Amino acid sequence: MTRLLRAEVRKLWTIWSTYVIFGIVVFIDVAFGFLVAFAPGGRHGGRAGIVPHGSSQWFTNVFSVLDNSRLLALVLGAIIITGEYRHKTVTPTFLAEPRRGRVVIAKLGTSFGAGVVLGALTMLTGLVIGLVLVGLGAHSCLAPAGVTQGMSQALCSAKHGLYYLASSHSMWHDWSRIAPGVVLGTGLFAIYGLGLGALLKNQIVAIVVGLIFTLVVESIVAAVWPTIGEYLPGAAATALEDAARTSFGGGNTPLLPWWGGAIMLLIYGVALAVVGTLTTLRSDIT
Amino acid sequence: MPTIQARGLTKRFGADVLAVDHLDFDAIPGGVTGFLGPNGAGKTTTLRMLLGLVTPTSGSVVIDGHRYRHLPHPTMRVGAVLEASGFHPARTARNHLKLIATTAGIPFSRVEECLDLVGLSESGNRRVGGFSMGMRQRLELARALLGKPDILVLDEPANGLDPQGIAWLRDFLRFYASEKAAEPEGGRIVIVSSHLLSEAQLIVDDVIVLTAGRLAAQGRLADLLVGTKRAVRVRTPDAERLVQALQAASLPAAVRDGCVVCEGVAPETVGPIMVENRIEVHEMVSSTESLESLFFSLTGGEGMQVGHAAGPVGDYRRFNDAPKDSPTPPPSAGAIGGQ
Repeated sequence: MTRLLRAEVRKLWTIWSTYVIFGIVVFIDVAFGFLVAFAPGGRHGGRAGIVPHGSSQWFTNVFSVLDNSRLLALVLGAIIITGEYRHKTVTPTFLAEPRRGRVVIAKLGTSFGAGVVLGALTMLTGLVIGLVLVGLGAHSCLAPAGVTQGMSQALCSAKHGLYYLASSHSMWHDWSRIAPGVVLGTGLFAIYGLGLGALLKNQIVAIVVGLIFTLVVESIVAAVWPTIGEYLPGAAATALEDAARTSFGGGNTPLLPWWGGAIMLLIYGVALAVVGTLTTLRSDIT
Repeated sequence: MPTIQARGLTKRFGADVLAVDHLDFDAIPGGVTGFLGPNGAGKTTTLRMLLGLVTPTSGSVVIDGHRYRHLPHPTMRVGAVLEASGFHPARTARNHLKLIATTAGIPFSRVEECLDLVGLSESGNRRVGGFSMGMRQRLELARALLGKPDILVLDEPANGLDPQGIAWLRDFLRFYASEKAAEPEGGRIVIVSSHLLSEAQLIVDDVIVLTAGRLAAQGRLADLLVGTKRAVRVRTPDAERLVQALQAASLPAAVRDGCVVCEGVAPETVGPIMVENRIEVHEMVSSTESLESLFFSLTGGEGMQVGHAAGPVGDYRRFNDAPKDSPTPPPSAGAIGGQ
């Protein structure tokens, strides 16, 4: 099994698609992080509410962008298995390890690991964004050009320092509240993507079904039957984030306890993979 | 000693297609076994069932008495070169082999050996997406050889290779098959499926011939060829007269493609008749037993017609009229197959 795991990990880092996905995640984090940070009204700022820069709510809004990386984790998980069929590498893979169930188990482990790395990368990017925002905010506090009088300079420095202290505290607080949930959620979402891929076999179909279900179907179900909605994969992943309970729209929709969310996601991923192994993956490789 | 045994092997695709139909065969070590048959005879399906990629509808095919998936170290026992086996285009050849080596627990030094053997050492760090057909085929062979297997299964290995590559492969396979023959528990099985009969004849010692999913013949090629008919072909301006003379001697003769063809006789029989009748000869060819004629007689030369029928498609022979797997057979082969 160790060999299989090592081979699966090697498969990931020897193709560029993996790096593209990681790159997309960083790009989305950075682009949307700053967009939300400087958008008037903020992402979840309410109707008229302009969230004060540097406040905890501001950072919560910025970091709420980060949990979108789970969608890319789903894509990555789906690619890990459907890529084998797409490029017909499934033939040499199953020649080298004819016990197909073991290959799927190795892929489950690998996709979880890759998802966790993706989540960690996201949170690291988020941290950098947060630090930049704190720095920018502190800088904007400095006296405008032309004010050189000692008194106003001192005042500005004090304001600067206070801003820095306050905002970096909120930043750290929000970042650490969201980080474990995002990392675990992306890892489990990659397993969910792998399960979909194992069942559907076709790469495009698996990715499209996964994304449409998460982005469209889930929101509809959550709106119509909230009690069912909280058990769906996307909501289960959101439940993993402690911050979700107190902010960004939290409270509107019911959420499972964090461990409940984790269990639900794991069940989705593993159940789909098991069904896929027993049906789709047993089919003939021609 | 490696063994391969198929018993009652059957594969049905859907309700209509019976790809392999109660097939029994044994592959024996010590030589190259040709796995022959027209397109759609079930060669690839059979080989894929042997390798555990396709599940038989009924019956079984076993290696050393085990199904492929129950072999303790399949990669080290069986190497397979298959058509439609894939590579990730973005992965380098070296990494492709390292993946398989990792899975099978084979040291990376063996990857270098195999790359070197197939002449891809230099190109090892190039992406497979930029490889030619021939290079991919050689990479497939390198992958099959990673585990130093005693059983080698190759499905149309000559596809995409240039004449030089084909000659190299032929030598390699002959050598590989005979390499361990002297060892007490040695011997290797090399199975090569092919539709290039003239090519196959150069390397195979044994043949397994399939038609429509059934076994048509099995055995040593030399033994099977003894039974095949020979034919004599004569190019002469006096074709009419020669045919009459041969028929007078109660020999079957006919004019085909401007030549007189006489089946089932040796040149020693035809020669004196020509001298006796003072017939001018421009060329006389004795077609000996060939794998091709054996093949056509075994497979019934489905849909074969020799000669040109100037029909709606003009003077060309339509695909369905041509013998399967051999667009332009010598007239003798066609004549034998047509019977």
